[in-house]
This record gives sequence, C-alpha cells and structure tokens, in this order.
Amino acid sequence: MNQFITAVLTSLSSGAIYALMSISLVLVWRSTRVINFTQAGQAVLTTYIGYGVIQKTGSYWIALAAAVIGGALIGAVIDRFFMRPIFKRITSGPIALIAPVVATLGLLGIIQASIGIIWGISYQSIEAPVSTDGFDINGQVIAFNRFNLFVLATVTVTMLLLTILFQRTNIGLALRASAYSPEIAKLSGIKVDAVRTFGWAIAGAASGLAGMLYIPGYYLYPNAMDLLLVFGFIAAVIGGLDSLIGAVVGAMILGFGLSFSRTYISTEILFPTAFILLIVVLLIKPDGIFSAKKKRGA
Amino acid sequence: MTSSKRRLITFVIIGWVLLLISDHVGPLRLYQGSYVATYTLAVASIILLTGYSGQLSLGHGALMAVGAYAGALAIDKATLNPILGLIVATFVAGLFGLILGFAVARLSGPYLAGTTLALAVALPTLANEFEILGGQQGLPFDVGSSPERFGEEFSQYKWYFWICALAALIMIWWIANLVSGKYGRTYRALRDNPIAAELSGINVGRQKVIAFAISSGAAGLSGGLLVILLGGVSPSAFPLGVSFFLLTGAIITGLYNLKGVILGGLILVALPEIADSLASRIGESEGLTNSLPDLLVSALLILAVVFTPNGPGQILKRHHSK
Amino acid sequence: MKRLSIVSAVVATGAMLLSMLPAQAAQTTGVTSSEIKLGISSPTSGSAGLVYGKVPGAMKAYFDYINANGGVYGRKIKLVAKNDKYTVKGAAASTFDLVYQDNVFALTGALGTATHQAGYKAASLAAENVPDLFVNSGWSGFNDKTAYPTTFMVLPTYAMEAKVMAKVIKDNFPGQATFIVAQNDEFGDDARAGFGAAGHKFTREFFYPQGGMDLATGKTILSAISAVPGKPVVVLFGTGDATVAMLKAAEELKLTKKFTWLAGSVGADANTLLALKVEPETIDGVLTASFMPDAKDSTDTYVKQFMAINTKYNKGVVFDNYVLAAMNSAMLTVQSLRAAGKNLTRDGVIKAIETKGSSFASAGLVPLGYSSTSRIGYNGYWVSQINAKGEGKPFGGKLVIYTTDSGTGAVSVSNFVRPTMPKNGIPTNS
Repeated sequence: MNQFITAVLTSLSSGAIYALMSISLVLVWRSTRVINFTQAGQAVLTTYIGYGVIQKTGSYWIALAAAVIGGALIGAVIDRFFMRPIFKRITSGPIALIAPVVATLGLLGIIQASIGIIWGISYQSIEAPVSTDGFDINGQVIAFNRFNLFVLATVTVTMLLLTILFQRTNIGLALRASAYSPEIAKLSGIKVDAVRTFGWAIAGAASGLAGMLYIPGYYLYPNAMDLLLVFGFIAAVIGGLDSLIGAVVGAMILGFGLSFSRTYISTEILFPTAFILLIVVLLIKPDGIFSAKKKRGA
Repeated sequence: MTSSKRRLITFVIIGWVLLLISDHVGPLRLYQGSYVATYTLAVASIILLTGYSGQLSLGHGALMAVGAYAGALAIDKATLNPILGLIVATFVAGLFGLILGFAVARLSGPYLAGTTLALAVALPTLANEFEILGGQQGLPFDVGSSPERFGEEFSQYKWYFWICALAALIMIWWIANLVSGKYGRTYRALRDNPIAAELSGINVGRQKVIAFAISSGAAGLSGGLLVILLGGVSPSAFPLGVSFFLLTGAIITGLYNLKGVILGGLILVALPEIADSLASRIGESEGLTNSLPDLLVSALLILAVVFTPNGPGQILKRHHSK
Repeated sequence: MKRLSIVSAVVATGAMLLSMLPAQAAQTTGVTSSEIKLGISSPTSGSAGLVYGKVPGAMKAYFDYINANGGVYGRKIKLVAKNDKYTVKGAAASTFDLVYQDNVFALTGALGTATHQAGYKAASLAAENVPDLFVNSGWSGFNDKTAYPTTFMVLPTYAMEAKVMAKVIKDNFPGQATFIVAQNDEFGDDARAGFGAAGHKFTREFFYPQGGMDLATGKTILSAISAVPGKPVVVLFGTGDATVAMLKAAEELKLTKKFTWLAGSVGADANTLLALKVEPETIDGVLTASFMPDAKDSTDTYVKQFMAINTKYNKGVVFDNYVLAAMNSAMLTVQSLRAAGKNLTRDGVIKAIETKGSSFASAGLVPLGYSSTSRIGYNGYWVSQINAKGEGKPFGGKLVIYTTDSGTGAVSVSNFVRPTMPKNGIPTNS
C-alpha cells in the first residue's frame, strides 16, 4: 500500500510541474501557432535571475516574484522583437510552420549558451522555501512534503486565474479571438499584435513559475529545463495543443503514467513509457484528447 | 544529355576527386571528412522529409539509431560483411520508417513533431533493456581494416573515409534522382498545396509515408556511418541534441533544395571546430569554452531562418534577378 | 615534408655527438627537448563534471609543481585537457583531437568507461601505440592486453570493490536483508559480477539508467523497501549525484537511520555529499570503501604534501578525495616518464610501467599490480566509516586492508606497507 500511495503522491507532484510547462506551451500555441522551444530557455533564464535575487536578498519569495515578473517581460520582449519580425518575413509556404519553430530552437541555444558564458556551467542549487520533510501521518512518513503541497497549490491557483482570464475577461476574449481568426479579430478592433504579445507574456510568467518550483529538487545549470520542456511538450500534445485544460490533464496523465511505470514496472523505462503514452493517445485522437471538433487549419 | 545523366557524371566525378584527395591528407582531415559525409547524408534525409514532403520530424536521431543497431547486429551477431551490414542498416531503418510513417500519417505538424521528439528520447534508452542490443555498453560496429589489396599504406582513417564518402554519395545521388523527376513534382505539390494535390489525383497519404520510409533509410545509413567513427553503437550515441543539430544543418543549407546539401555537412563539422579554437584563444573561462560553439551554431541558425528561410540559394536567385 | 626530415637528421646527428645532453626525441610525438605533452579527456561540465571536474586541474597542479622543481629530466610537462562532456561522441572527438591535432605523447587519467572505450577506438590508440596511462575507470575489461594494449588501469576494479563489500556485509551484518542500487550499464554490471563471484545474493536489485537517478526515483525505491524488518543494508553503487539523490530522498522520507548505507567509492566523497546539501547527520555512519588515505587525514605524509601543492598551485579548489586521487595519478605518471629514461619513447614508457610500476611510490594503501601480464593498478580496499564532519575513519577502529582479484579469488587481508614518499613529493626514480 505504501508503494501505491508513494506513486500517487509523486505523480501529483511531478504532474503539477509538467502542467506549468505545458500550460506555457499551449498559451503560446493558442496565440501564435508556434511551438515555442525557447520556453525552456525562458524558464531557466528567469530561474537564474531568481537565483541572483536569492544571492542578494536571501529570500526565495522575492526571487519567485522576480522570476514571474521577469518571465513575463522576457516573454513579451521575445515576441515583440524576435517572433514578430520573423513572421513578417515569412508569409507563405510550408516554411511558415517550420521556420518559427526552428527559430525558437535557435533562440533556445543562444539563451543557454549565453547563460553558460555569463554564469558559468557549473551546477548551482536553490533551496526550497519550506520544509521538504515528508508529512507525518499517524507515525507514517509519506512521500509528500510542504513544498510539494505548495507546488500543487500554486498550479491550481494558476489554472484558476488563467481560466478566469480567458473566460471572463475582455482581454481573454481578445486572446481567444486573435488565435482563432486574426483577420476577423482585427476587423472588430482588436489589436492582434499587442494581444499576442500579452499571450507570450503570460506564458513567460508561467514558465518562470515552473522554473522556480522545479529547480529546488534538482540543480540549476543552463540545460536544467530541457527535460521539463520535453515532458511539458508531450503533456501538451497528449491533452491537445489547443486546450488549456488539456495541458493540465495531459500533464497529470503523464505524471501518473511515469510514476506508476517506475514503481511497478521498472526504474529504467521512463522515456519509453512517455512515448507509448503519447502514441497510444494520438492513435486514438490524432489531435490530442481535448481536440476541437472542427479541425482548424494547421 | 539528360539531366539525370549529367547528375550521374557529376557525382562520379565528385567521388573520384574525393578518393584522390584522400591520398594526400592526414588522419585528422580524413576523420573530419568522414563526419562531413555522414552529416551531409543525414541532412539530405531531413531535406527530403521536411523540405520536400513537409513533415517536420524532431527525431532523426532515433532513425539513425535504428539503422546503427541493425547494422551492428548484422555485423556482430550474424557476422556479415560490413558493407552488407550498412545495407541492412538502410533497409531496416527504411522499414521502421515505413511503419512509423503509417502510424503518424494522421498527425498534423506539431503533433508529428511531438511524437518524433518523444521517439528520439525514448528509443535510445529502450536499447538498454535488451541483452542482445548490448545494454548500455552497446555493440561494436567494426568495419575492420582496409582490404589487403589496397596495400599496407592504406590507413584506417582512409578506409573510414572511403566508406562514408562513397555511401553518402550513392545514397544522395539516388535521392537527388528521386526528387528531380516525377516524385519531386509530386512532393512539391503536396507540400505547397495538399488539397490541390489530392484533387489532381495524388494520394497524399501514401506519398508522405513513402517519403518517410526513404528518409528513414537514408538516416539509418548515416547512423551506421556515424557509429563506425565512434567505434560502436550505444544508447548514448544518439542523444536528443543530434536531431536538433542535424535540423540546424538542414535549415542552414536550405530546406527545399538538395543542391547545397554538402554545405550543411561542412558547416556542422567546421563550425564547432572554429568555435572551439576561437574560445580557447579568447579566454580561460570554462563557461566560454563550453558554450561558445553552441552560441555560434544557434546564432547561425537564427540568421539562416530569418534571412534565408528558403536556403542560401534564395540569395543567389535574388542576385541573378537584379 | 622533405625539409622536416633533413632538419631532423641534422638534429639527430648533433644529439649523438653531444651525448651528454638528453637525446633529441624530435621523432617521438609529443616530446621535445624541453617539453612532454600529455592529454586528458574527461568531463568538466554536467552532472559528471560536478563530481569529477576537479581532476584535470589537480593533475596540472602537481605537474606544475614538478615543472618548478626540474621537470622530468629537464623537460616540462604540459597537460592538454579536453572536456568530453561524459558522452561517447565527446570522448571520441576529444581523444582523437588530442592524438592527431594536439599530438600528445601519451594520455593520462582518461575518465569514464563507455566514454573511454569509444575514445580508445576512435583515436586508434592501439594502432598508434599511444600510452593510455592510469585511466579513471574501474571496469575490469581495460585489463585486456589484446583489446587495450597501451592501457594501464589505476583504480581497483568495481568487481574487486564489490567483493570486499560482500565480505564486509557477511562479517558485520549477517541476517539483514540487502539491496543494491546501481547503474544499468557496465559500471553496475561489474559490481553485480563481483557480488556474484563472492557468492552474495541481494534481496532485491534496483537499476537506473546513467543520469536517471533523481529524488522521485529514490523515493520510489525507498517506499518499496521501507517495510522490510530489521536494519537492511543498502549498497549505493553509483556516481556522486546518484548517491546524493538517494540520501536526500531518504531524508525527506525520514528513512536515513532505517538502513545501513554502504556507498561505493565512486560516489562517496564526503566533501561532495556535504557540498550538495546532504545533512551531516545523514552521512554520519555511512560506510564506504577506499584504497587511499582519507583526504581529511592531514597526519598522512602523502595527504599533507598534496594538500600543500594544492594550496600553492591549485588556488581556490577545495582539497578532497578526487583531488588526492588525481594528484596521486599525476605522481605515478611522473614516475612512469622518469622510469622510461631520458630517451623517452612510447614503447619505453609502456615497458617501464610493466617492469618497474609495481614499486612506484604512491599514496595508495594497497599494492599496485603492474607486471608484464597485468595492467591492474590497485587491487584492494579498506573499509571506512564517515562521520558527521565528513571524515573517513577505519570501520571497526583498526585499519584492515583487503586485496583480491576481479574473478573468483578469495578476499584476503594484506600486510602491505606502502613505499615511503620521496622527499617533498618529488620522485627521483629512474
């Protein structure tokens, strides 16, 4: 029973973190139709900023705020000064899908290399702000601690805020409209470009959050978020790239799948499990679980 | 003279020149040359898949791994001749690509990308699970030393170079033939306007799968060549970075045209070397020496995407039309 | 090409006339009248660099010390270090470049098993007869003169360590359940073979892919074994970051005192564990095996000397077991070069180690096993227990040295007394 409980608990903790990354990716996809590989770079860069803030102030919480705000700013800057010019140059042809993706890949490389040059490539660590001792339930220590609880709570709150933003606010409506049909949105007076930049900003904030929540269990180095990017992307694809709920559900499915396979099958087949989960879902629903009924143009 | 005859003669001449050069250069250049040939072939396979049939794959490393393992098994366990081993690598990878192509035929752009990405990280670790694949240590990929009739002076690295260069040349020539004829028009059609293509009678789904299979075969061959240079295939020979690395080369070369493909191979080998020597000249900072090569490659990639999204050929064309 | 050989001919003639001077080894790659070039391919970045990153710098520090004291027969040693990022590709490229681009005389301290296997093949070290000195790997396969004719090991094999551990478990923890957590590659396989050869069977075995041990995996493993009665022995046969992950997972689950931890020497440097934020109470009592004196034991002559060299020539680097081992290898390297004589050739170095290597001075508390048929370096271990300060003291109070082989030979207690350190740590052998 102990193993089962541990598996469930670790699933929740890791699923929550995957969710933050997959949310960021879906946010960008929905607003600009780009697979944003730079997200890993944005996340790790904001985490380095957070690390710097901790060095100066000693406070994780200030660093967290700095990372979220910094993430938003960086996201906005990347869209305004990098992605927008690229889109203007590439107007037609199949390169239209591939070029932005590849550009984000290049930008990822530049960010990671720059971090390596500025901060060095050795591993740093960020301490968790709250206790990482497992909770004691009736004398039994479980594989869930205050920090895991904090992460889970943060992700839930983030999801709620984003849902409110998209469903209940004007700007949320504008975001959805711009993604669905830019021309019509423009005609109805929405500043599509500005709205899109806003989308990137929120995504950047979310991934900044992801970084600060993920790194305390691991180490900080330029490529620290690469694995999270891969899992976040797989989670987003499983859930359907057009759906924020899908992002969270996909992340949880991935988290549970990986944890249980690790517990009951083997500690060695992490990636094959992820791949099998993905291909099984896509064979049944080629556009992910929560794909829209009508296929929008790719 | 037909264009296909011209192409054949061009390739034969290139081959001859390469073999002549190989007599006069040292092991360092031969080793680098082998890498250039291997990467060029891999880039060509990406151009076929992504540039011509419009399917974005982020998992070419996995396809190369399939070919490498198949070839290694053939040579090691079935004691086949190394050349046969490479042929096995090509066919097995091609078959794998055929099946994979079917499985992902319904997936659109980003979903295909995601699946190939997951494959790229999953496949190498899978190799660890099976005894016959040699576990973490992998399998040796031994092409032996050069045949006796080439004489004693024929160095090991020259032998590697001959194998890599000739294999790459043959495969690329075959692909070039393929895309210049009817198939080429078909691919361009289905890439630019799949609906119109379907309407004019092209079976879009089938063509995409065929392209996937051929591209995988070529990738498998390049995988086999790569592990010759590494001495053997192992799960760590094809990390995720390989797929991105090759995609970079394809973009820089120009995704839509095979003409400049060797440029991609050259850049992929030369750029890290140039960056390395630059870094060691500039400073002692470890962060710099380790990160500068990646910085330069990424910067070049972005420049290529922004200024020549259709490849360097685009600049030349613009020049001519002025 | 022609001009070069004429110059060489003139130089060689001149050297013969002036036979008092060191021979012009202009024909030997990597050796000039003033310099000997050596190369090392090892990880200095990534998770492996986290643990082994200090090795090239420490070796260079020792070489700098020797250079400042006359060098090797007047020649200064230059160490070219390349970061192979602990990947097969990286090692293949680095090793190749060292041999064909930097033209080193010999390699020393190559790190990693799969990585060095690749590097050895890619650079054709066998065909080029490049000496491959004191590789940092315990894989017993390197002790194969047919496959690796120019290679000399230094670390005891993982199989040897496993056999010594098996004996310790048998003697001290009879009746307890035992578990092993190891990498699923030749590193872990070698360990498995050793435990098997010693007749030890684990209650359960856990394997993870290299780099795949993290907190979540650690917790999964611990939750599977936490209900076992008594105080089971858990063998952690992995790299430093893996040991850290397991111990930290145990901290979070409050299971640190539930088990007796037996950490393999590769991943058990107490300094590193503490630096990576493992609690002092956690490492208090952890058992490990070592073949060197503890890096914190400043009463040991070798440790004291190396510490001094480290302070002067390796500024800013904390002295730990990795620095100690690296400097020790550097000392062995210098003795090898000296033993080959003033007319330094690749063949000469290889022969020198075969014939004289087993009597080289070194910090190791166990004997060196070099001979014309054996390329094994150290062949044994002593068991140490770490305390909360990170110091390793002999388990059981008295230092007992065990020696064995990588096969089915028994583990025996040894009376080995190591050679006295040459004055000031500067070898004068020939």
